[in-house]
Amino acid sequence: MSKVISLASARKSALPKMRVGLLRLTDGAPIIAAHEFGFFAEEGVETELVVEPSWANIADKLCYGLLDAAVIVPPLAFNIHLGMRGVAQHLVIPYGVSASGNSVTLSKALAEDVGRRSRQDDVPPAMALSSVLKGHFVTFGVVHAYSTHNLLLRYWLETAGIKVGRDVELAVVPPARAVEILATGQIAGFCAGAPWGEVARRAGVGVPVAGSNDIWQNAPEKAFAVRARWAEQWPQELSGAVRAILRGAKFCDAPENAEYTAALLSRRRYVGVDPHAILADLPGAAGSGRGCVFYRGAATFPWRSQGLWLLNEMRRWGLINPALDLHGLVEEVYRPDIYRTAVMPLGESVPPVDFKIEGSHSHRWILDGSLSPIEMLPDRFCDGVLFDPEAVESRLPPTADAVMGKS
Amino acid sequence: MIDADAGRAEALARRLVETEFAAVEILHPPDAVYLAETVERLKPDLVIVDMDLPDRDTLEGIRVVSDEHPIVMFAGSDDPAFAEEAIAAGVCSYNLSGVALQDVRPVLSAAVALFRRHRRVENELAEAKARLDERRLIERAKAILMQARRMTEPEAYRWLQKRAMDENRKLAQVVAEVIERHEAMGKGERPERNAP
Repeated sequence: MSKVISLASARKSALPKMRVGLLRLTDGAPIIAAHEFGFFAEEGVETELVVEPSWANIADKLCYGLLDAAVIVPPLAFNIHLGMRGVAQHLVIPYGVSASGNSVTLSKALAEDVGRRSRQDDVPPAMALSSVLKGHFVTFGVVHAYSTHNLLLRYWLETAGIKVGRDVELAVVPPARAVEILATGQIAGFCAGAPWGEVARRAGVGVPVAGSNDIWQNAPEKAFAVRARWAEQWPQELSGAVRAILRGAKFCDAPENAEYTAALLSRRRYVGVDPHAILADLPGAAGSGRGCVFYRGAATFPWRSQGLWLLNEMRRWGLINPALDLHGLVEEVYRPDIYRTAVMPLGESVPPVDFKIEGSHSHRWILDGSLSPIEMLPDRFCDGVLFDPEAVESRLPPTADAVMGKS
Repeated sequence: MIDADAGRAEALARRLVETEFAAVEILHPPDAVYLAETVERLKPDLVIVDMDLPDRDTLEGIRVVSDEHPIVMFAGSDDPAFAEEAIAAGVCSYNLSGVALQDVRPVLSAAVALFRRHRRVENELAEAKARLDERRLIERAKAILMQARRMTEPEAYRWLQKRAMDENRKLAQVVAEVIERHEAMGKGERPERNAP
């Protein structure tokens, strides 16, 4: 008995501690589950979860080494990696935490008008919004300039001919504040991650009119980003952390565990809202098509094609220098090689390719996995466009128009 | 200056006004909803922000607007140790006008010192509270053992200590388990059948 204890404590002192940052959002579920169930510890990784109030805190703490890893929106990870915050901190993304889960939530009054117009004209909500907004300039909230929400909302608005700057303004609104700010009328809607759309609906303040799936089906959402230096120093532990999160993801993705997951997340130290509001966006419980996906359809795989799509959209909206080599950048940051090495011992079938054409499936489809076929989820864009990674120009001349159309 | 703690903000403002920095505007979190607008209107050289506020992200939106002077945390950012110190204290600042680090250094140092002291007091309070709670829980666990196992008070305490030691766990964990089990089983029942 005493021998076991001394061995355990000797081992413990040698372990690196991984400080992981996350926000008050439903999609942190796999990491929270892996931490609470001791999956990290079983892989020999000591973790400390730090729930931050803002994306800016996550970014700065990663930059200055006060966090080792984070559940993050990938555009912000690129922002940090590129040194756009003053100091550069190189990051790697060896794991995709979630897909889908966002909602476009409009104020009650606006949502009613949009709903009526949508039924009357038999058009999707974005088109209805376009006709309702004619002549009314409104502001929508997004959670950060370098967020998937900013990119997805802009994409959605653009497909309906709604121009940011001309027809609507976008303002940055922290996700946990979005509901109260919507209630004051300063914004007419917001695009944010779960559970905030559902929280707005339950408070009678807003109505989610579209989800990630109405913009890009099963769009990649959060990623697990790790400081490159930590990843290099502790490759075994990083591998272990990836396996631990994958186990957490399997648990959280099973509909029969949804109630348990909701109760766990509703604790004050994590999301701190009514478990029923969380449940609405968990696998199995979601009827709205905006629920989070944690495991199914290779959601955990860090697809380079998805990272490239995000970078291409960032370039489209002038968020990064157009002269940057996007292919080089995505290969530096997105690391499917680390993912494969980590999860193969679990007997997981993994995608053998790093890129795929995005947007070509409106139904479930089968991908040839390394061990067995993988059932994939639909991945269509709302405008039906195909995203071919090979067609993306790696660099554009620095003088190029910041707002570039899709080819 | 944007701070959830009005007292701390005013204390810092007083100190800064005493030095050569005369103009300090304190924005309280209710105003912080209009943060971006207010900051754009005031055009301050420096914004000092309480990192516990989610409103920092609102401020980050300005970064994209004012690309002439991108908002950078800690002017120059050539002193990572200082930045780390500030983050650990829970305060950060944005340099809006391109003013050099050495010019705002006294302001930032004052802010960091004040936030650090504040944090220390808060931590001490939290620790004191935790110790009190733990005492209260130990008393309760002892009472449960005394009743269910007819132990004396010293015996109950030794039982808890021994169990913590045998299982290489914290006393607080053992105590919480005894109470939880007792509550789950209903009063009067034994917390566990096989005593070690």
